Amino acid sequence: MNFHKKPRFLIVFLKELRETLRDKRSLGLLALFTLIYPVMLGYILNQQIERATRPEREGIALSVIGADQAPTLMAQLKQKNVTITSLPAQTDAQIDTLLRGRKVAAVLRLSTSFTTDYAAMRPAKIELWYNSASDLDARRRDIEEILQAYSANIAGARLLAHGVSPATMAPIKLQRYDTGSNAARSAGVIGSVLGLLFFPAFICSLSAAVDSTAGERERRSLEVLISQPAHAWELIVGKWLAASALSVIGIIVALSLAHAILSWLPLEEIGMSWRVTSSDLAVVCCVSVPLALFAAGLQIAIAMNAKSFKEAQSMLSFIMLVPMIPGVAVSMLELKTATWMYLVPMLSNQTLLREIAKGEAIGSLPFILTFASSAIAALAAVTFAAWRMKSERYVLAV
Amino acid sequence: MIEVNEVRKQFGAVQALGGVSFTARDGQITALLGPNGAGKTTLLRLLVGLLKRDHGSIAVDGVDPAVDPIAVRANIGFLTDQFGLYERLSTREYLTYFGELHGMEKKGLAARIDEVSTLLQMDDILERRSKGFSQGQRIKVAMARTLLHRPRHLLLDEPSRGLDVMSTRALRVALAALRADGCCVIMATHVMQEVSHLCDDVIVIAKGCTVAQGSPQQLCERTGIASLEDAFVSLVGTDEGMLA
Repeated sequence: MNFHKKPRFLIVFLKELRETLRDKRSLGLLALFTLIYPVMLGYILNQQIERATRPEREGIALSVIGADQAPTLMAQLKQKNVTITSLPAQTDAQIDTLLRGRKVAAVLRLSTSFTTDYAAMRPAKIELWYNSASDLDARRRDIEEILQAYSANIAGARLLAHGVSPATMAPIKLQRYDTGSNAARSAGVIGSVLGLLFFPAFICSLSAAVDSTAGERERRSLEVLISQPAHAWELIVGKWLAASALSVIGIIVALSLAHAILSWLPLEEIGMSWRVTSSDLAVVCCVSVPLALFAAGLQIAIAMNAKSFKEAQSMLSFIMLVPMIPGVAVSMLELKTATWMYLVPMLSNQTLLREIAKGEAIGSLPFILTFASSAIAALAAVTFAAWRMKSERYVLAV
Repeated sequence: MIEVNEVRKQFGAVQALGGVSFTARDGQITALLGPNGAGKTTLLRLLVGLLKRDHGSIAVDGVDPAVDPIAVRANIGFLTDQFGLYERLSTREYLTYFGELHGMEKKGLAARIDEVSTLLQMDDILERRSKGFSQGQRIKVAMARTLLHRPRHLLLDEPSRGLDVMSTRALRVALAALRADGCCVIMATHVMQEVSHLCDDVIVIAKGCTVAQGSPQQLCERTGIASLEDAFVSLVGTDEGMLA
């Protein structure tokens, strides 16, 4: 009849979008949330890379009180790349402040009777002060090892002087082999890390979905709206697309920003890889559009049943965690990538991105499945919502 | 013309409407009188096809709202007991939204918005967002929405509540103009003065049933009571009425 006119779902879509865009405060929060995660991710990875690339014993800073009593020990420490600062006598409180400043890994205090004890072959006392809460604590272990090696050396020399082989002091010989490479560790990490990049799909649509359904019901404008000459599905589709639009933008922004950051970081230093080209990313964004549609559809289908904005929000904040569960479960159980993973919305997007990041050739099936699984779920949610809005029980509760 | 015949509606065990029949003619303002809980809201919702009746027939210009609700709604202006404004939209944007939903053309719509705005004396709030509107301003905006698409039928649920004297007069003038245009107006109200001044026909419903239909004059004659208010009380059958 009126084919030249704007379709009604488009009218609803434009109106909902306009209203949402006028809610500047919510939009600001959404932008903040979308941007903060990729930036945080970049910062944390950058820290890890810096730590990994720092030479092993570069500048372990150590303060020593009474250093002149043990010149050999000091020489040995210096040989092992420890920078020593000699300090006059300090009180306990002063040492504490020194450690709190995090400039030195530890403080050694040689007892005043060190030289006499040493000469008399009594255990010469050295105090090791450290702060186990500090991130420099790993360096303290290195210092301890040097001290032990030094002690063992002297013991060996003394035994030898008495005609005993130093080997008697070492009934066993321990050798350490660490197979936990950085690469293996970060492979697990990156899986769950990438999953969170798709989370804006669920966050960005939230306020629009809730506001246009439960909010409209709470403000009592829904009865007016459903009395207009429009089908329930037209109203639902308009609201759904408006909420989805924000999700789509959220996903694209989060992925693009993450792409820019991850491409720039030298990830290979910590055994990770980001072999994603810009065209790969564009394809991932495209197949992730249905995820945004699904998120918004699900939120609308649930929020429309809530009586108030508040109720909808608390219901959804719980339900929003559900899509995260498969991803977390897979990375905790350390499952190998399998085709079924591409059938679960959210998990599929996450798996897809991880495989591409590894630089694997995966063919087109994963892309198709990722797209289709979310698209079908989205349609199911919207169909349910439209059916629900038409039902008498719903009209009565409006 | 709206024809309702023996309409019943039940929600679970509750009988909301137990047999409502009336005819609301074109070019007349028909008052819908009934105590709270008499089933007025249910009746209005049935008329726009939001609910489905269990029994009886409804025809809005010959169209059954249960069969083609969209066609019926396109020809009805429905002022619900809630105004349903959007705080982040200006009055003009709000009216444009509903006008577009009714399939109105952009140009004609803008002209029509100015027209209803003048009719209801609300030019001062046309470009303002509805946040902070007074009760009277809100009902004017809702009323403008109701009239916007030039519906042949108007269902008004207490249209004069919260209006000041000037606005009530403006509303009365608007309703009289609609009647002159040949519209069929059904107005649920509790203000008896309004009924006797404005309405040509009165439908009294109580406990989900039509109790009487006729002009205010006829109702008074039938009950033998001079004041419409007392006649209404007697028709509705309060405890005192039953005893008498």
